[in-house]
Amino acid sequence: MSSVNPEILQRALLREKAARKAAERILEDKSRELYLLTQQLKEANEKLQSGLTEKTTELQGVFDNLVDAYVLMDLGGNIIKLNDSAKELFGYDVPKESINVVKLIHKEEFNYAMSSFNELIIKGSFSDYKARVYTKNKGIRWVHINASIIRNGTTQPIGAQGIVKDITDQRAIEEQNKKLLNDLAKSNEELGEYAHVVSHDLKSPLRSINALVNWLREDYKNVLGKSGLENISLIELTLEKMEHLINGILNYSSLSNEVVLKNEDVDINGTIKDIENTIFIPSHIKIYVLQTLPIIKGDKTRLQQLFQNIITNAVSYIDKEKGRIEISFKEKETHYVFQIMDNGVGIEEEYFGKIFKIFQSLGNNKNSTGIGLSIVKKIVEIYKGEIWLESQPKVGTSFFFSLKKVIL
Amino acid sequence: MKGIVFTEFLELVESKFGLETVDTIINDSDLSSKGIYTAIGTYDFAEMLSLLTHLSTHTNISIDDLLLVYGEHFFDVLAASYPQLIDKYEDPIELLSSIENHIHVEVRKIYPEAELPTFEIISKSKTSLIMMYKSSRAMYNFGLGLMNKTFSHYNAKATILLDKIKEDGTEVKFSITKN
Repeated sequence: MSSVNPEILQRALLREKAARKAAERILEDKSRELYLLTQQLKEANEKLQSGLTEKTTELQGVFDNLVDAYVLMDLGGNIIKLNDSAKELFGYDVPKESINVVKLIHKEEFNYAMSSFNELIIKGSFSDYKARVYTKNKGIRWVHINASIIRNGTTQPIGAQGIVKDITDQRAIEEQNKKLLNDLAKSNEELGEYAHVVSHDLKSPLRSINALVNWLREDYKNVLGKSGLENISLIELTLEKMEHLINGILNYSSLSNEVVLKNEDVDINGTIKDIENTIFIPSHIKIYVLQTLPIIKGDKTRLQQLFQNIITNAVSYIDKEKGRIEISFKEKETHYVFQIMDNGVGIEEEYFGKIFKIFQSLGNNKNSTGIGLSIVKKIVEIYKGEIWLESQPKVGTSFFFSLKKVIL
Repeated sequence: MKGIVFTEFLELVESKFGLETVDTIINDSDLSSKGIYTAIGTYDFAEMLSLLTHLSTHTNISIDDLLLVYGEHFFDVLAASYPQLIDKYEDPIELLSSIENHIHVEVRKIYPEAELPTFEIISKSKTSLIMMYKSSRAMYNFGLGLMNKTFSHYNAKATILLDKIKEDGTEVKFSITKN
């Protein structure tokens, strides 16, 4: 060492000194960098912490305010947490009392519960589980459950949560409604059948009476005399009216069977022409179709019945020398609204409601059974429409009715 | 190149050839660092090449031999600094075969900017290992020195054959057989 040139030593020394300073500078930079990183980490951590608190508070709020029962359990079925609704429903005060969900399952639904549990483990969730459970204070309750698996950070399942809804009362009401509807449909059907059978059965004795009266007239023509024969004619007229009535009831009772209704294009212009050829229209009465009528979707027979009954009604009640029946319509967004106007006797406003009721006939018209307009009303209802009228006594009447454009 | 490679190199030169030699090779090499190195700094590899070349000229020892000695020396430096890294392995073959997939991975965690050679394993058995060294530095003899010392660290001996796949030494096959 002693033989080393002092200049070399000095250079080495200077290098060492410079290296030390360089090292110090590097270290200084490094510690500044570390300090900044620490600050950033701290901030990020604080942010995460406050985010976590926020989420926890949010979840707690959801948990507390949930109207439905909330159940949290481990994978062994031990209940870890219940919200207030769940405590109220099941009657257990977890965690003071410990309870396993298996104990809550109704014995008859054990297999269903186990297969749902398997689904939960395999698929991660199940929904629409409906079954009975045992509760501590409320006996057996029907519940609806949606459940899902809870996973930890490494997506390993660690438990399950379920939203439980008590549907006991709802089920009872549903059952009751179902029964009521069934009963109603049944009694409706019976009623329709009854009307049909009764009116059908009434027709044959009616025909017998008719024949017997006929024989009476033929066989006792001389004995009966003028007033006797008049009475026989009156009996025949009444019998005729009664047959109309029975036909009307038959018609009416078969109306409600919507299954047989066709859904075809019906040209109403053709329908009116068919009616003019079907019913008797005295020569002093004219039918005016004011515009081309629409083609509508519906059952041809029913629609003809509808128009025919109103037109027949108008024809029957026209008392003027020149009778007019005018048919027009307006197209609305969902419905067609038809107007059939006549210059007949008119109807007092107080009878507006009454005329659509079955067997209600105003005046004493021999062709009127009092069923025609109730059939009209029923057909309009089938096509989700309404019927109403405007009338001025002695001047005339306008019937309005709407028909829904498409029956779905 | 990491500063520790320079500082340890100069320490070794000083201990073997004296401070004058250190002074000479620094003066002879035109170094932008002026020979001022600290272990925690990073310097241009060309400076190491320049120092090696001048040392070789000055001492009449080939660069390959210088690197071999330096590699052997450097193993002790590493063993002293990172004993836990070496203690993980019970056998030198195990250690050497883990350079690429474990040791260098750890090195990159500490020095993300480190430029490391690759040691691709071609075949391996309990007593032999064939690896392909690849590096633009062509410091395969430095690697050989490290390997020699690895075996002596575990009190083992081995025959290590070098086969230059590329003439400039940037790709060299190491065939290691434990004796």
